[in-house]
Amino acid sequence: MSGRESILARLRRGARRTAAHPGEHPAPQLAAGFAPFAEALRAAGGAHHGPLPQNKLAAKVREIAARRAPQGRVLAEPSAAALLGPGPWETPAPDAAGHGFEDAAITIALGQVGCAENAAVLVTGRDAPHRALLFLCRHLLLLLPLRAIAGDFHSALAALPLNALAHHHCTWICGPSKTADIEQTLVQGAHGPLSLDVIAIAPGGESGAQ
Amino acid sequence: MLARAGLGGRLGGSGVRGMRDSFEARAVAGLPEGARLARHDAAVFALRGQRDAAVAAVRDWEALRERAAAIKAHALDHLDLLLERFEEKARGAGAFLHWAQDGEAMNAIVAELLAARGAKRVVKSKSMLTEEAGLNRYLHARGAEVVDTDLGERIVQLGEERPSHIIVPAIHRSRGEVGALFQRTLGTPPGMDNPEQLARAARRDLRARFLAADAGITGANFAIAETGSIVVVTNEGNADLGMSLPELHIACFGIEKVIPALADLGVFLRLLARSATGQPLSAYTSMVTGPRAGGELHLVLVDNGRSELLADPVQRGALACIRCGACLNTCPVFRRAGGHAYGPGAPGPIGAVLAPALGGRNARNGRGPRGGRNARSGSGRAQNFAASLPLASSLCGSCSAVCPVRIDLHGQLLAWRSARRSGGAVERVMLRAAAGLMLRPRLLAFAGRVLRRLWRPLGWRIPGNPAAPWLQSRELPPHPGASFRESWQRETR
Repeated sequence: MSGRESILARLRRGARRTAAHPGEHPAPQLAAGFAPFAEALRAAGGAHHGPLPQNKLAAKVREIAARRAPQGRVLAEPSAAALLGPGPWETPAPDAAGHGFEDAAITIALGQVGCAENAAVLVTGRDAPHRALLFLCRHLLLLLPLRAIAGDFHSALAALPLNALAHHHCTWICGPSKTADIEQTLVQGAHGPLSLDVIAIAPGGESGAQ
Repeated sequence: MLARAGLGGRLGGSGVRGMRDSFEARAVAGLPEGARLARHDAAVFALRGQRDAAVAAVRDWEALRERAAAIKAHALDHLDLLLERFEEKARGAGAFLHWAQDGEAMNAIVAELLAARGAKRVVKSKSMLTEEAGLNRYLHARGAEVVDTDLGERIVQLGEERPSHIIVPAIHRSRGEVGALFQRTLGTPPGMDNPEQLARAARRDLRARFLAADAGITGANFAIAETGSIVVVTNEGNADLGMSLPELHIACFGIEKVIPALADLGVFLRLLARSATGQPLSAYTSMVTGPRAGGELHLVLVDNGRSELLADPVQRGALACIRCGACLNTCPVFRRAGGHAYGPGAPGPIGAVLAPALGGRNARNGRGPRGGRNARSGSGRAQNFAASLPLASSLCGSCSAVCPVRIDLHGQLLAWRSARRSGGAVERVMLRAAAGLMLRPRLLAFAGRVLRRLWRPLGWRIPGNPAAPWLQSRELPPHPGASFRESWQRETR
């Protein structure tokens, strides 16, 4: 008998089939919107901006880029670049390998869902096809439609776009990379970005988002 | 001088010379000096404090715990069906599935995958399962360079020791010790002990290794049957770099990690980080479904004793564990003994529950993989050690009170104690003698008078005194001078 069959046979012997699934947890009806999201983001070590209409996004991104990394290489994933329009950012080729982004100072990506309970922003594989970019850059900048912010995490998971899982990854990002492994002292930028900026997009200004 | 094992030292595996290897022996050997003990205790209990503050802000916390326990109970009752569904969905998404009966089989599968692709440079993120199975040693012996990438894991790897905590692997090390270690191994300047500078030094070193890696190995916090996705949670982003830079991603995880549906994930994620560090959510929660473009994803489902544990009506509940570490942070024994006293498996109350069931299969005591044995037999020495762990508890119940999935940890520790037979002839004779005394009131009173005369010599720290290990860290309390019965008669006269 193969390893698979042996394991499943033992599991069947131990399976009691008595405990029913309890059903979905009722969402706790937490306040949605940008204010609680921004507060949670601050606590997670991130910075918030906006909400801004789409035509003001590029200027805000330039301002943040000038502050975070004045001379650095700025990369915008395709859906974010489409929202921003032309600017001092490059869009990686579809088949570009992650290793080519080692010197990325800033990555810009579009988030599809936000969660006020924990300041998490969902970035799907469709919006970040070069996944390594989210982690190799020194600073990460996410664009998030204001209407996509749910109050609690159950509602946020339920708001996952259709086919979100069909693009290899869905990554919830909640603040910058961090560690407290040395004497429990919090350090931002353990492996991934040292900072996270989230710009909320005012309603009506998120045509690239789903 | 005794070898230091617990907070800040390594132990070869045998504890104190002349004592049988046990939690007690390792804890005695590793008893830290006052300042180190105080630092460890404070650091661990601070995590408990952070957890309490986070939990207080969640109105539906107890309902979440109840829901999580019910989902896990359902999942364990239907584990075979959920695994088959997960397999079908994951395969459909393009992943390769492998089933490993034990740690040895898991190690062999991983080694074969690496060898077939000529992969020598491996970056690995934190995984208690690969610790359990001794994967690093196994791969090193076959010519692969495995680098642990979680900062705490990297510290203990460079220091050639084991993690001492599930989520903070180097919590037993001070910044000065990390600075000295990095000076020796990474070439940082002498005297550099600023945590931010040390973290930056590790980041530089590890970034180069990520970019050069041929393969990335991760664990998985959850596997979702409904979608065939795995979920990997980190704060550092190391697992994400390991998953997204090399073409080959291998995820090894225990079969108990499977949960039924995506909607269930919300329950566990709201509990996990709050219970671990007090964060509402860790910095990165990645749901990975199938390989990335141009890459390969291999999922290794590992049993290693879990299916046998599932058949145990009492202990099966331990399989619900989501590895948050909350039970460690609240445990008065863990806070004082340190994680190394628990041996090579998971430390703390959950480790003390799991080790007798899963322990002894392989890679125990740093002697390399064994595997292929009955889960509850393993090597005799490892089994004996594992059997001592349920004694590492005051049974105060704090572990059960904080467990986010409501595992009855102290009840399970008690059940393991009941099942333990290592007391042998001495314990049986003593229990019979005690029973004989209890049944004879006059004899009991006489024995009490004799014991009161012997009370002071009992506290002598002389070799051979069976109370000696206990007295290493405690004083016998002063005796009241009379039995309860005598005191009662005096008071009511």
